Amino acid sequence: MSDKLSYNITAGELAACEKIPRELETHANMVYSSPATLSFNSPGATGFGVKRAGLVVPGSVMLLVAPGCCGRNTNLMEEMPEYEDRFFYLLMDETDLVTGRHLTKIPKAVKEVRDHLESLGKPPSCVMICITCVDALLGTDMERVCKKASDDAGLPVRPCYMYALTREGRKPPMVYVRESIYSMLQPAKKEPATVNLLGYFSPLNDDSEIYDLLKSAGVKKINEISRCADFDEYLTMSGANFNLVLDAQARLAAQDMEKRLNMPYIEMRRMYQADRVENQYMSLAGATGAVFDKTKLAFFKERALDAIREFKEVCPGAAVAVGEMGNADAFELSLALLRYGIDVPVIYGTVTAEEMPFIRHIAEASPKTRIYANLHPSMIWHGYSDGDKAGQIGSDINLTIGKDAAYHHPGASHVLWSEEVQPFGFAGITKLFVQMKEAVS
Amino acid sequence: MKGLWKYMSPFAPDQSGASAVLYDLGGIIVICDAGGCAGNVCGFDEPRWFTQRSAIFSAGLRDMDAVFGRDEQLVDKLVSAADNLHGEAEFAAIIGTPVPAVIGTDYMALKRLAHKKSHLAVITVDTDGMELYDAGAAKAYMAVFKKFALEKDKAADLAAEYGILPDDIELIIGSTPLDVPKEGYEAGNGSSGLKSGRGGLKPGGFGTGLVYIKLSALSRKNIVTAPSGLPAARYLKERFGTPYECRYPYIDSGDSVLKDKIASRFFKGRKVLVIHQLVAANEVKKLIEEGTDGDCDVTSATWFSRSKELVPDECESPVLLKEEDDLEELIREEGFDVIIADPVMKKALREFDGEFIDFMHFAVSGHSD
Repeated sequence: MSDKLSYNITAGELAACEKIPRELETHANMVYSSPATLSFNSPGATGFGVKRAGLVVPGSVMLLVAPGCCGRNTNLMEEMPEYEDRFFYLLMDETDLVTGRHLTKIPKAVKEVRDHLESLGKPPSCVMICITCVDALLGTDMERVCKKASDDAGLPVRPCYMYALTREGRKPPMVYVRESIYSMLQPAKKEPATVNLLGYFSPLNDDSEIYDLLKSAGVKKINEISRCADFDEYLTMSGANFNLVLDAQARLAAQDMEKRLNMPYIEMRRMYQADRVENQYMSLAGATGAVFDKTKLAFFKERALDAIREFKEVCPGAAVAVGEMGNADAFELSLALLRYGIDVPVIYGTVTAEEMPFIRHIAEASPKTRIYANLHPSMIWHGYSDGDKAGQIGSDINLTIGKDAAYHHPGASHVLWSEEVQPFGFAGITKLFVQMKEAVS
Repeated sequence: MKGLWKYMSPFAPDQSGASAVLYDLGGIIVICDAGGCAGNVCGFDEPRWFTQRSAIFSAGLRDMDAVFGRDEQLVDKLVSAADNLHGEAEFAAIIGTPVPAVIGTDYMALKRLAHKKSHLAVITVDTDGMELYDAGAAKAYMAVFKKFALEKDKAADLAAEYGILPDDIELIIGSTPLDVPKEGYEAGNGSSGLKSGRGGLKPGGFGTGLVYIKLSALSRKNIVTAPSGLPAARYLKERFGTPYECRYPYIDSGDSVLKDKIASRFFKGRKVLVIHQLVAANEVKKLIEEGTDGDCDVTSATWFSRSKELVPDECESPVLLKEEDDLEELIREEGFDVIIADPVMKKALREFDGEFIDFMHFAVSGHSD
């Protein structure tokens, strides 16, 4: 079995490559959807795929217009109480495929869904129409179809493009859906000192310092779509002074809102390197002219550094496998751990050009760190062969971060780090290290 | 409204049926999609994915692959994946989805190209994600039996190699996780399930399942446990003269309210509706009728294939359900006392005030218990 190893490359080797090896390019290989990858590669109930994300608009329901196969695993979501009576299906057949007649049925179906929900005493605030690869290939003008449906039914109807075919394009599905969920906001009078946080489908941790810092800088209202109690509250997001983009996948939505609502935006990102987090807040202050309470900032940073120190005291010999199925960028997090003096022998991640700067720094700090491509066909052998299990990667790992890493190293302690409530900033670092300490304790 | 489903999510699609049949036959299974269809199979429709390894891959198609019909690139990926399996794959299967259906993929050409480059035996299953699982499973069964079933003399040699006595062989066709409970697909050796009294192969091995297909000429009798197995059983009868019978031997497995109710003659004098795949539904109907000495009125119904062979009496033709509205209408008009069906259907039966007895069907709810 010795030759049956999963493809991997050390950070040092990868950093020295002129271009990303073909084995690490997802589009160049068949995709192996091991149980470790399902939540991010084909999200059903775990994590947010297009279907769940589309329903983050309060009171919304979804009409999936697609072949039956595209709606099959929605069953998992329908078993959650919060999604009861929120999914509907207009199933396509082969004639629809050839003639495109399914599009003419959508307005009628929307009205029937509306009537049905009204009869249950649950009138929808809006209907999200989810379409899939078939309509991507047919070149369907779903904006026009939604407008017709909206006019007929008398409520907002918006498209959600679940176009898996475009997942590596300029507008992948998870970018598109972020644009969709804010597309019902209309120009409104600006409310001073109000900001929208864009990027996630669930709220940040209540103890994230970003709330305190923004308030200390004079921000009075902080909006997050997932905290809106109803559709009316969602609509008040139109009045924000600016958007704070916390995940790059919301950039397109922010650009759209800048154009339509005259709402500027500033980007931040989730990071686990404490000095970078601090720099980011300084940049935000510089860009907005805000003055953050420096005592508070120092307090939050020190609290994070304390958590790191405490973990290292409890587990001085930590060897951590970092995965990509969690609330972190696997490479940025790995770099952060290495800079805190924690060993990271293995990373499971999707290598892209954007990740290469992190990988080069990882190579400087730990050139022998091994990088695995979760989706590569050779991952079928991962954890099965003697080589993988006994020596090459497995035995020295005593802690994992991310659900995929946990799957690959069942014998280690685990921090799944995949809660729906989102970690961010110093509070995210603090929480992570507290959980790491608990896991090894 | 036709095509509009308000209560239940879609049932297992044809590509899931095809994958279920091929799952443990030891080939490379390529789902010709962008990722979502393979994710649906692995993450939802294939319970074995979490316990038993299989080389199922998504073709990882991107928009330009579909627009330009890059079959060569697809085959190159397949060859690369085969290399990663280090010769363990005995064949490759390419399973269709809506993407190749829209772009009009020429499966015959794809098969030839894939065989030429990979030197593997290649089968294709032209599923499109719009039919139901039983259609895909039926196509996959036909494809593997046509491709791999050996003539009797060669099958006898192979059986001797494995120490299997020909007289012991009965082939079970149809026992995939989508159609039968866990006890069913684990008891049979592989999706097709070769039942061997002595010296049989151990189930669940990577690739051993294909041996059963190769030996099918030696089967004394084929047992069809789901309608998806019928076309293959007919084919094997025509080719090897093997008789077959439709039977669902899994009612007794596990703790079951249904089993207990049948034993206690609960159904006596009642009007009953049984909804499942038709071999299973007919079996329950038969057991209830036997248990009540005919003092009951049992109707079987299905969302899936309704072959003439599964309709023993024209007067009691099973009901074919196509839309949620059909089910509501049937219940409203017939006034059943008892419904035996997968519990996910309760959502569509909010007005039904009789007794509902759970009869799980994985292809419907994604649950087997």
